Amino acid sequence: MASDTSTYDTQKEEQYRAEVARVPLVTNDRSAQWVTEKVSVLTEKKTPLWWWIAILITSPIAAFGFFCLFYQVSTGVGVWGENHPVGWAWDITNFVFWIGIGHAGTLISAILYLTRQQWRTSINRAAEAMTIFAVCCAGIFPAFHVGRVWFAWYLFPVPNSNGIWQNFRSPLLWDVFAVSTYFTVSLLFWYIGMVPDLATLRDRSKSKLRQWLYGIFSLGWRGANRHWRQYEMAYLILAGISTPLVLSVHSVVSFDFATSVLPGWHTTIFPPYFVAGAIFGGFAMVLTILIPARWIYPQLKDLITEQHIDKMCKIILLTGSMVGYAYAMEFFMAWYSGSPYEIWVFLRNRVADPYIFGPLFDVPPAPYWWAYWSMITCNVIAPQVFWWKKNRHNLLIIMIIVNMVNAGMWFERFVIIVTSLHRDFLPSSWGMFHPTWAEQGLFFGTFGLFLTLFLLFMRFLPMIAMAEIKMVLPEADPHRHAAPENDGTKEAQH
Amino acid sequence: MKHIFHHPPEKLTGRKYWRSLGELADTPEFREQLEREFPAGASELNLNNVTRRNFLKLMGASTALAGLGLAACRKPRHLVPFTKSSEWAIPGKPVFFATAMPRRGSTHPLVITTYDGRPTKVEGNPRHPVSQGASDTYAQAAILDLYDPDRSRFFLKAGERAKEADFEADLDAIIGDAGDGAGLAFLLEEAHSPTRERLRGEILKRFPNALWSVYEPLGGDRARAAAAAAYGPGVVPNVHIDKADILLSLDCDFLGTDQKSPDDTRQFTSRRRVEKPGDKMNRLYVVENRYTVTGGMADHRLRLPASHIGHFALALAKELGIDVSGVEAPGEVTFREGWIPELAADLKSARGRSLVLVGPRQPEAVQQIAAAINAHLGNLGETITGIAASDLPAPALPISALAEKIAAKEVKTLVILGGNPAYNAPGDLDWAARQKEVPTVIRLGFWEDETSEGVRWHVPAAHYLESWGDGIAADGSYLSIQPMILPLFGGWSELDLLARFAGQPKPTGSELVQETYRQRANPSIFDTGWNRFLNDGFIEGGWNTAPIAFTGGLPRTGIPAAIAADNFEIVFPADAKMDDGRFNNNAWMQECPDPITKTTWDNVAWISPNTAKELGLKQQILKSEHPLIAITVGERTLKAPIFIVPGHADRSISLSIGWGRSRVGAIGRGTGVNVYPLTTTEHPYFARKASVKDAGETFLVAHTQEHFSMEGRELVREASLERFNEKPDFVTEMGGDEHIPPGGYPSLYTHPELTAPNQWGMAIDLNTCIGCTACVIACHAENNVPVVGKEQVLMGRSMHWIRNDRYFVSDGGEHQDLHQYAEDPEMVMQPLMCQHCENAPCETVCPVNATVHSDDGLNVMAYNRCIGTRYCANNCPFKVRRFNFFDYNQRPITPVKVPLLGEVNGLKLGPLTEKGMPEIRKMQKNPNVTVRMRGVMEKCTFCVQRIQEARISQKVKAGSSDNVKIPVDSFTTACAQACSAGSIVFGDISDPESRVSKLKAQEKNYRLLSYLNVNTRVSYLARLRNPNPKMPDAKRKAAAAAKHAHS
Repeated sequence: MASDTSTYDTQKEEQYRAEVARVPLVTNDRSAQWVTEKVSVLTEKKTPLWWWIAILITSPIAAFGFFCLFYQVSTGVGVWGENHPVGWAWDITNFVFWIGIGHAGTLISAILYLTRQQWRTSINRAAEAMTIFAVCCAGIFPAFHVGRVWFAWYLFPVPNSNGIWQNFRSPLLWDVFAVSTYFTVSLLFWYIGMVPDLATLRDRSKSKLRQWLYGIFSLGWRGANRHWRQYEMAYLILAGISTPLVLSVHSVVSFDFATSVLPGWHTTIFPPYFVAGAIFGGFAMVLTILIPARWIYPQLKDLITEQHIDKMCKIILLTGSMVGYAYAMEFFMAWYSGSPYEIWVFLRNRVADPYIFGPLFDVPPAPYWWAYWSMITCNVIAPQVFWWKKNRHNLLIIMIIVNMVNAGMWFERFVIIVTSLHRDFLPSSWGMFHPTWAEQGLFFGTFGLFLTLFLLFMRFLPMIAMAEIKMVLPEADPHRHAAPENDGTKEAQH
Repeated sequence: MKHIFHHPPEKLTGRKYWRSLGELADTPEFREQLEREFPAGASELNLNNVTRRNFLKLMGASTALAGLGLAACRKPRHLVPFTKSSEWAIPGKPVFFATAMPRRGSTHPLVITTYDGRPTKVEGNPRHPVSQGASDTYAQAAILDLYDPDRSRFFLKAGERAKEADFEADLDAIIGDAGDGAGLAFLLEEAHSPTRERLRGEILKRFPNALWSVYEPLGGDRARAAAAAAYGPGVVPNVHIDKADILLSLDCDFLGTDQKSPDDTRQFTSRRRVEKPGDKMNRLYVVENRYTVTGGMADHRLRLPASHIGHFALALAKELGIDVSGVEAPGEVTFREGWIPELAADLKSARGRSLVLVGPRQPEAVQQIAAAINAHLGNLGETITGIAASDLPAPALPISALAEKIAAKEVKTLVILGGNPAYNAPGDLDWAARQKEVPTVIRLGFWEDETSEGVRWHVPAAHYLESWGDGIAADGSYLSIQPMILPLFGGWSELDLLARFAGQPKPTGSELVQETYRQRANPSIFDTGWNRFLNDGFIEGGWNTAPIAFTGGLPRTGIPAAIAADNFEIVFPADAKMDDGRFNNNAWMQECPDPITKTTWDNVAWISPNTAKELGLKQQILKSEHPLIAITVGERTLKAPIFIVPGHADRSISLSIGWGRSRVGAIGRGTGVNVYPLTTTEHPYFARKASVKDAGETFLVAHTQEHFSMEGRELVREASLERFNEKPDFVTEMGGDEHIPPGGYPSLYTHPELTAPNQWGMAIDLNTCIGCTACVIACHAENNVPVVGKEQVLMGRSMHWIRNDRYFVSDGGEHQDLHQYAEDPEMVMQPLMCQHCENAPCETVCPVNATVHSDDGLNVMAYNRCIGTRYCANNCPFKVRRFNFFDYNQRPITPVKVPLLGEVNGLKLGPLTEKGMPEIRKMQKNPNVTVRMRGVMEKCTFCVQRIQEARISQKVKAGSSDNVKIPVDSFTTACAQACSAGSIVFGDISDPESRVSKLKAQEKNYRLLSYLNVNTRVSYLARLRNPNPKMPDAKRKAAAAAKHAHS
């Protein structure tokens, strides 16, 4: 037996095995107590100066956004740059952008949970919080982009004296249901998952107010076996409910476009393409938030490890390539359809730039060629650097790329909405869109709101799912007997 | 004061169909409801500067007249308060009156819709042969002037408010001192009112030395002089466009600004209705410097500077064999090769069936040559007949002669009735200064304008809807003008003032017109005849004809020299909207897109792509920033933004008159540039020795249509007559229709059942639509469409429910760059309103069911339900939905001064500005149409209020029977009603007998974007051109059409 396998290199095999051996999810061999200590302390110790500085920057931005919103509601949608034919522009672009960002949270919490991807545990809390806050920001736009927001309740099936129902054929109505369901389920999921950790904070609380508040929100959690059983079941069920929502919400949002007759919108590949794009953009935002958080709180580096970042970069690479494929396919379908209107939108409204493709096809440049090519550069070309492992471990490169992705995903929605609308069927109605300070201010303001909410979250809620992390610690493994080497008394070596 | 109001017996109330439809039924229930009805809100009325009591008087004024027969008793002391109205006056129901609009060329017969004493809508008089129910842009827009908040309200003595009694006393003193009239001068506008002519006679009898001058910047002085030279003084030519097979227009926009009455359009289009193969069609050749709506209708068009038209006419005359050896034509002009010989041959082949029209403002010499050509072609007595000159007002002193008299200090008292000479007199007269040299100037004006400055008395003028008068229609029939409402601000009419000079008291009613009527018509029973005259609005009759023959010779001189190589020609055409400037404070007109350039709120210097290139000017299509050019004529220079217009003559620039008013109301302020200072008495129409250079600045020009190319999309489908004869259903192979599977596409959704007895639809004949925009203004008036102002138009937010798409079609392919349209493109027009799709994409996407389908096939909007998501507009393939981005009806659309920020558009300040619409503006609103608030989507409703009105009256008529089907073609939409070409036809498509069904049954009927399976209820009849196969560009035109058919 040994003689004929003499060529077999045992050493090499061991080397390979070592390479594919799992890197621990929590590095530096931290103990459960260490986890509790390091995460809880973020909400307990004196508010750091940077936090005050940060919130004093973000909250006026949010306030300015609300001022822009107030101006728009009191004066009219006309304070934005929308017009005939561009009836939607930054408003719906921003809506889809924020909704997309909200996707990673649910994907991490639900799908990765069901598929037993344990690496999710250290990032799911923050990602879910991001989802909630992003959906809050997203919700502002469809609610307030309407001409008469005081009648927006017509969108809800509330019994009224007119006996008029909503139009159930309208994708915008589906949006209302999809987004509100998504928000509700995400909020529940986030909250339910947080209960054991809230109880931990309650137990550690020294002030009355904290005891009282965490006491209320931890719902009387005592960590009993029965509690854990029911908690696990509830969490599983919510994960089950959330999983289709990950796919449905952005599919429904894409129906706004896909079910219309407008060339550039009327595209059947939109649902998967939007979902891929949303996950793509969502992960980019998770990294955008967590890398600085990790830098501010170095102790988190043992929880949110390079392995996490590496995995998220891989997802970005995958979904970015899917999105790139969708862009190519859209273009192909437009050409394949033979419809001059479809071809026009893709070639003449988007692709034709003044330098390469315009001259190549012998057409004048598209007015929004820069938006299209910004989108391609940021979404398709930039993530390709993640093919190289070295780049997936260089935080600077990652930060640059994920921010390009954030911008690129905004451009994607802008390209879909504005470049399709501005020159559609009848050339007589063609126009251009020019944004105004009021809509730019509102968009800017939503970033302020998002970051303010996130800062509050970082300060007052456990930003890492402590209980879940503990389940993936080596000591949680019943087959492991050795005591952890690092019980938290030693400082991490960074 | 208690009056007992006697109502006229029913028989005297005139024909019943002038009255409201609902009243026709006259059921007991109806009368009961009538008695219960009380004018709601009457106590809250507070008209600007009008007390409530006065307002009620005003409101009552025309109610008293509603029976028409009572009109003669209309004196202020017989006003009927609305609370005690007569039993036949139904609150909320319209009453219709016949009247007429005095115009430069002719008087136009009208019927006015009034609601509760307020005139709200102008229509053509359907029984008059000239109007046949149709009107035009100017007639439609005139109603807004009546309610202009900026109109003159007070008697002004040297600019200070004064009492009417003081004026009358001063006037009597002036008249008393006038002696034999030496030093007394009258300056009037061109109008043809027999009563005015009668008063003129009386005044000149009383003051034999008085001067009677008429000035009209766009008047027919030159045409009259040329006609007198050509045909002799006793006869005036009358053209019959409908009799001509071959027409040649030499810079004559006879379908647009040069037309005498909308009847010209009807006459022309009556010869372009091709229903089936083999039908005949006239052929139009146009030679002009700029695209006009007439040029757009041309089968062959030659672009030529306006000052070269004389050379062209001469060359044509020579080709036709007329001896032109004595005529001087300085300079060398070349024309496109082959054009003149083939044109001459074509004209010759239609002897007596052709017509050469020449622009009325072209020099007399050019007009005389055209007359000679017409005579040579045997058109006199055929397509041109003679009118006895005695039928027309006697010649008057031209304004230049009056100016000379003023300069010679021969004028002591100048009475200016209407007009605005200080603004629109030729620049070389310097009239504003000249006028100030006259010791006493009395000015009757509708606005306090440029001419009102420095006058002794400014008298507010009454609108023609507020005053008595008469006029002569284009066909020579006698028209009555009766007031719909008492003068809102106590103005005087022209006749009121002239009567004083004629030694009569200011009339309190129709006495003056009655006297003229008595003399002209000499009725056997006066009352019956007069009542009928008012009721019908006219007395049938025509011109006294006179034999016409060419008696004059050819002019020796007078043909303008060719443009020198280093010079430019500046042409000052009439503006399609402002006319000569009289509509400058009319918001509808300001916002109405120019038919060709689609610009609003400004005039622009039209320039050809070649000339723009020569001057190094580049106009970005995607930007509204237009380069400014500095135009210098003589010593005067002005700056104007350019607009590159394909098909414009090279080295020629057109800059329309009527803009840049210095003293005007809030609407007209700061719009456009005034080009009158560049005009001269000798050359009021063009300046030849102009220099033009890039001013190095840019100016924002608001236009409603950026793009000018159809991009090969076959939206307007077109073919030559020849191809139509070969393949009458050529439209089925265009625009993707050829790919639609037989039986159409299936639909995913179930659609509402279209089961009502009437199914509404529309057909638009592109072969007769000239693109005049009368439909746009008619829709404004009927549907309370808001005006948004220049800044909003710049942002792409104009609210027009119907627009007129204009495309240039070039045989050289589709261009994105205006500069590439160097050669002559063809121009096509397409009116577009909501297409009322049966599978409406807007309906499926509205989340709140605010836009839904009715069972008679309308796509309807429930404004109250609309929350304004704008999704419907995005999904509308035709982009006809209009969103109220701001509170256009409630907030100022003009700039408002704000501390720190300077002038800010009032709309953007929203709640910081005053809310509400001036009461006087409210009076114009159609009470049957909601005034929309901000945040609401709106669009064409097919005039659903008219449909409902017809439906209600039919239901009333039907009683318990189920005969609720509205009689065929018994009413129509506002756009269709206004259309003098009859291009827009609305009606019941379920009734094969309706006009619309018959049009839709034609083979060249097609629907826009039918590949989308939207099943539009509006369809179009393809456009046809009738090129002369021998012309050098005929093949090119045929090629363009063929390319259309096969691409």
